[in-house]
Amino acid sequence: MTTIPVSFSAIGPEIILLGTAAVLLVFAIFLPDEPARRLSAGATVIALAAATAFAASQFHDHARAPFDHTLRIDAFGQSGRMLIFVAAIIAVAFSWGMGHLRERGVEYHALLLTATAGMSLLCVANSFVTAFVALELFSLALYVLVAIETDDLLSLEGGLKYLIIGSVGAAFLLYGAALTYGASGQLEFDRIRAGLAAGDHHDVLVLMGLTMVVVGLGFKANAAPFHMWTPDAYEGAPTPVTAFMSAATKVVALVFALRVLVTAFPRQSDVWQIGLAGIIIASFVVGNLAALRQANVKRMLAYSTVGHSGFLLTAVAAHSALGTRALLYYLTVYGAMNLGAFGIVAVRERELGRPVLISDFAGWGYRRPLLGIGMLICMLSLAGFPPTGGFLGKLYVFSAAVDNDQTYLAVAGVIATMVGLVYYLRVPFALYDGDAEAPAVSAGPGFTLIAGAAGIASVLALVLGIIPTPIIDLARTASNSLF
Amino acid sequence: MTTALIFLPLAGALIVGLLPLQRRATEWLALAVALAETVLGAIALIGFNTGGGIQYVQNTRWISDFGAGVPIRYHVGMTGLSLFMVLLSAVGIAAAIGAAMIAGRDRSRAYLALLLLLESALVLLFTAQELVLFYVGWEAMMIPLYVLMGQWGGEGRRRATFQFVVYTLVGSLLMLVAVAVLGVTAHTFELSALTAHPHESTWLFLAFAAAFCIKAPLFPLHGWLPSAYRESTPEVTALLSGVISKAGAYGLIVFAVPLFPSVAHDWRWVFLGLGLAGLLYGAIVAFRQPDARGVVAYSSLSQMSLIVIGIFAFNSNGVTGAILQMVNHGVVSVAAFLLIGLVELRAGSDRFRVLGGLANGRPVMSTVLLIAALWALAVPGSGIFVSELYILIGAFQQQAVLGGVAACGIVLAAMYMLRWYSELAHEQDGETVSAETPDLRVGELAIAVPLILILFAITAYPWGVMQRVTTSQVAFDTPSKVQQL
Repeated sequence: MTTIPVSFSAIGPEIILLGTAAVLLVFAIFLPDEPARRLSAGATVIALAAATAFAASQFHDHARAPFDHTLRIDAFGQSGRMLIFVAAIIAVAFSWGMGHLRERGVEYHALLLTATAGMSLLCVANSFVTAFVALELFSLALYVLVAIETDDLLSLEGGLKYLIIGSVGAAFLLYGAALTYGASGQLEFDRIRAGLAAGDHHDVLVLMGLTMVVVGLGFKANAAPFHMWTPDAYEGAPTPVTAFMSAATKVVALVFALRVLVTAFPRQSDVWQIGLAGIIIASFVVGNLAALRQANVKRMLAYSTVGHSGFLLTAVAAHSALGTRALLYYLTVYGAMNLGAFGIVAVRERELGRPVLISDFAGWGYRRPLLGIGMLICMLSLAGFPPTGGFLGKLYVFSAAVDNDQTYLAVAGVIATMVGLVYYLRVPFALYDGDAEAPAVSAGPGFTLIAGAAGIASVLALVLGIIPTPIIDLARTASNSLF
Repeated sequence: MTTALIFLPLAGALIVGLLPLQRRATEWLALAVALAETVLGAIALIGFNTGGGIQYVQNTRWISDFGAGVPIRYHVGMTGLSLFMVLLSAVGIAAAIGAAMIAGRDRSRAYLALLLLLESALVLLFTAQELVLFYVGWEAMMIPLYVLMGQWGGEGRRRATFQFVVYTLVGSLLMLVAVAVLGVTAHTFELSALTAHPHESTWLFLAFAAAFCIKAPLFPLHGWLPSAYRESTPEVTALLSGVISKAGAYGLIVFAVPLFPSVAHDWRWVFLGLGLAGLLYGAIVAFRQPDARGVVAYSSLSQMSLIVIGIFAFNSNGVTGAILQMVNHGVVSVAAFLLIGLVELRAGSDRFRVLGGLANGRPVMSTVLLIAALWALAVPGSGIFVSELYILIGAFQQQAVLGGVAACGIVLAAMYMLRWYSELAHEQDGETVSAETPDLRVGELAIAVPLILILFAITAYPWGVMQRVTTSQVAFDTPSKVQQL
């Protein structure tokens, strides 16, 4: 029995985040509510910034597989980590001054750190065991975060649905891992590929395992038809949590999906590409058609994330370095525009003190001009208008699909985009409805911070479309580390 | 130069939109930006080398490696056609801003900033030499347009905007796929490189052509046109009809046909047939319209159909005529719609039922209206007559029957434009027209007269336009030397 050498640098971000969470839980208990909340928010941001810096410092290192191949530390994983950390920082800003957290501030931030740590680990997981541990770590933390407003029935309902359906998804993934282990005798992704190389590529056991894995991934990436939890969880969760989930879980699910499919099952790509194509088209149809009928902005955006899963999975299905770059670029833009949109919804929510309907934005663009422009940018970007990042992301994904002879996916994506315009543009139309009068209401404490963070995110969605080269260069480094 | 033309209005839009100036100051600032753009355009015109080619080029890296080693470049420059389209945009926007000042739009800061934003996008799309850049300009043009249509205008503006959004986006998203496919398969988005190795795909051609023909619009894709032209403010309608419809024709001439020459040639009869149908249908419907805008709106459909016929005649006479007609019709319809706007300011309506007798005691106004009407009906001797003649010659060269039917269609223009003028200026005084209804004021003349002078200038010297554009139609058979009339 050989001992496995421990590489602390490989799990540096997780150590920082979980360590901070532990310290907060132990010591902040002794402080009164308000200082404890402020302290934990500050410590969370510092820990996340440190973790980001840590991941960035290793970005250009050679890829390595520490802990006996159970992790793979490469630029691809690090870029996923950094996206998640930045999303978490913005989520902390969003939750500043959130009324319901008064007595649960410490727990809230500790759970956020735990979820982030789990996601970070999943970004670099190279074995089904590590992956499952990481998955459950962040999922459990998120179940609680969704239901953290314990006196709100919607929040509890969302958390419960997420818990049950999320567990089904995890079970699929676990079953798939077991079947794959049965077929290959291995749990690490690169060894699975080697283990499967010898036998029949389309062995029933392999295909069953692969199917289960894809279904499990579909649940986590909230792609149709595995999206049932999405609208309720997104609607019920406190809006800062929704913002974080929409951006970060999508990043981690897609990064992990690409890694496992490309590393473990490259020879079965003909099978999983077909499977993904089905999921993609289902996501386009369900996400966009259901979003048309929503009056509640959070539910509409929830269905829109289902639709966007289709675009993101199109990049995965391309199974190429180009697709990987498209995926990372799209994820960056996607995070920015969703955080911006949900953040601005959170501002309006605090003004009204109740869930926000699209009609609640009527005339609001004149009342708060800068936030109105921010929301306009986010909606145009989600809808895919140039010169926003959303447009370039779509073009990038379409290029990847065309390059991989999957033009039909690009065409399906364009049709989805057309339908998407109808509901995305309803928001700007409401914002600048000259006939409606939106009375001035105070948003309460924390307005500057939350509005500022949302504004930065939405400006980013625009800037990424005009100056995309830095991100594309980083994405190239990342995709080279994988292929 | 080109870059300055693109970014000057953009900078102007930001300054106008964000500086909290007084209403008057905002308006004069916006007008100053628009006039500066026009002057810049005029300087470009003077410095333009009639020898042809793409001039005032700027070509730098924008996105290093997009897709499979395909770079996206910021490559702008002007052919003769681009130059005149840019000038048309500059003049159109300047006139529209002037008209908006007279009409006094509410929330003028946003209104004028959006007009300048629209100008920036238009110039970008008319000068882009790169497919993605062109698409960016094409879509960026829509955003201010949607807001301008949806926020300012008549009662039914929301419905009109919705129709417009759906029609135009269906077209432009199809084009987006085509752009991606073309770029990835050819490993470049550069226009010159793509036209050097033409593509054979029918689907891609139709995707491009659909986007352009919806914008033009070509019959039967004009469903958005009547309500959009009626419900928008006169300035926006003037730009839609005068400038933005030309973006569709520009796309056909510069992108759809040169990128897929053989496919376009195979499909020419479809476009010629639709063009003829649109020419006759537009003219007949225009004659039956109960309001001044409706007449000009459907005449616009008719004239754009004529331009499409010129393009798909596939010879240099046809396309030269089409280009000259784009410039002429652009100026005429901007003038016509802005004049209707001035009539509406006085009468509060553009329905013929309540109008009439404007010529009675209002000599300046009736003269200006008459000039616009005469030019719109292509009176022999006018610049428009020249361009329509070229299109007809091109049509005859393609097929005599085509030319014959098209000629009949052109005659119909005289019917509806003369009716337009007489319903406005002659007949009994309408119930909204009284002796106190004022003639054109100095400020209003300052908008109308420059437009008319431009029409006179083209009439006097059409060769000035044609010699600069004849070299920009590589795809249209062997560019024979065009004779000066």
